[in-house]
Amino acid sequence: MLLYKAWIETRVRFFAGLIAAAIVCIFYIEQHAWLVEMWTRELQNPKGYHFAWMPLGIHEYSWYLWHYLYDNYLQQVWALFAVLFAFGGLIREKNNGTVLFSLSLPVSRSRWLLTRLTVAVLESITLSLFAVVVVLIGSAVIHQSYSLTQLLLHTALMVAAGIFIIAFGNLCYTLFPGNYLSLLLTLVILGVPYLLLQTYMQHLRYLGRTTWLGYLDFGHAMAGPWKLNWTSAPWLTLLMTWTLTAVLIGAAKVYGDRIDY
Amino acid sequence: MAVIIETVELKKNYGRHEAVRGLNLSVRAGSVCAFLGQNGAGKSSTIKMLLGMIHPTSGSGCIFGHRIDKEKESLLIRQKVAFVAEDKRLYDYMTVAQMIRFTKSFFPRWNHALESRLVEQFDLPLERRIRQLSKGMRTKLALLLGFARGCELLILDEPTEGLDPVAIEDVLQIVVSLTAQGTTVFFSSHQIAEVEQVADHVLMIDRGRLVLDAPMDQLKEQYRQIQAVFPEPIEERDFRLPGIEKIRTEGRTVSLVASHNVDLIVEHVRMLRAGSVDVLPISLKEIFLEKVKARP
Repeated sequence: MLLYKAWIETRVRFFAGLIAAAIVCIFYIEQHAWLVEMWTRELQNPKGYHFAWMPLGIHEYSWYLWHYLYDNYLQQVWALFAVLFAFGGLIREKNNGTVLFSLSLPVSRSRWLLTRLTVAVLESITLSLFAVVVVLIGSAVIHQSYSLTQLLLHTALMVAAGIFIIAFGNLCYTLFPGNYLSLLLTLVILGVPYLLLQTYMQHLRYLGRTTWLGYLDFGHAMAGPWKLNWTSAPWLTLLMTWTLTAVLIGAAKVYGDRIDY
Repeated sequence: MAVIIETVELKKNYGRHEAVRGLNLSVRAGSVCAFLGQNGAGKSSTIKMLLGMIHPTSGSGCIFGHRIDKEKESLLIRQKVAFVAEDKRLYDYMTVAQMIRFTKSFFPRWNHALESRLVEQFDLPLERRIRQLSKGMRTKLALLLGFARGCELLILDEPTEGLDPVAIEDVLQIVVSLTAQGTTVFFSSHQIAEVEQVADHVLMIDRGRLVLDAPMDQLKEQYRQIQAVFPEPIEERDFRLPGIEKIRTEGRTVSLVASHNVDLIVEHVRMLRAGSVDVLPISLKEIFLEKVKARP
């Protein structure tokens, strides 16, 4: 029943997330032919833009989709909604005036927290799997194909690394209650560095350069390499991310246990 | 009878404000214990501490022998205690039926018969969303969700607030019938008449301190107002006797509230050459006002 309650509370956000993910996937699938044509023109033009990734984008549909979806926009949409799914819990109920009823039930504060996180994780997984379905159908419509294994591996990596975002969003909401304030703070503290670093590191990778900042490139950890397999998965980064996630959840639990309602 | 709620020097501070100051109280099994106090006296803070919703600054407390300041024990407490808060807001996105189904899933001893009876008695629309209910209806639903839990202890914070007189009477009858079935009831209220109707024990709290702890029968039997008129104005210090709770002098007239020792006090007043001495019964409301009013 706790899961059911948490689901009811977040289902509007969840459906909004499905719509947003579908829009992003369909847009980039639909744009494929046009972008390939544009890059081809650019490459044929001596004065046009010449980036190292362009031949790959033209000839490899799977690289194209990985680049636009899993290394950029689907990942960003997914991250945004993962944060939103994590918002709520007893802190929100304190503002709504229902927390005394909830706390009168024989349910520990830790269980309330874990229920909220579980639902957020399940919704995030469903959102990412929904994107897989959209990509498969959309690709078939434009007569392209993308390996289902690669899609599932990238989805698994995005969720596995992105679980940190859920924990961060929940802690942020616990410390700074309120949808707008906590979303703003999450975006400022996590979102802005994540986007800036992601863009900068993508640029360096195209130039064939590396820097120690790569260790902090959370976006790339979520995307992984273009051709992902068990050996190329960023296990060390994942381990660090999971450790951080455990710390954040622990902090939310300790703080949550001390709150006076 | 066994003590099921007990606090020892329980304190709660909010910053510099001392909401509860060294509260020592005990509630016996099977009783209907009224917890009275003005707004801000510390009633809700005490109840919230008992249920683990806020943490005591110091002191200790137990319900059914489980410590209130330990999360694991607090969970055991909440399995045995039904609580209806002063703020009776519920999940407004659920229907009445969903809310009942949700709540009963946590209580294996849920009283299905009482649930059905109260749904009918309170005329609750099962398919209506809670956000569409009136305040009175929400209060009735919150009470149903408390009463039907089948718990050994019922803690009610202002249970009848927002109810019409008919519903109040219904609620008081349910409290009485639950007590008859062995449930202990601990409730706070501003409605002294309700308290007099159902409570068999009274606790009064003022500014975070317990100022009265007595059975209702004892209050009714022993508390008396003694009014005396003297030939000359008289000093308050002449009335420092055990049992005198309050002294009010207006010229030659003295009004005393006595908690016990009435015969001795009357004899003392007569010795002071009072022209007339009247011993009057005193209502709980008057006792309450005397206890909480005009304290420095």
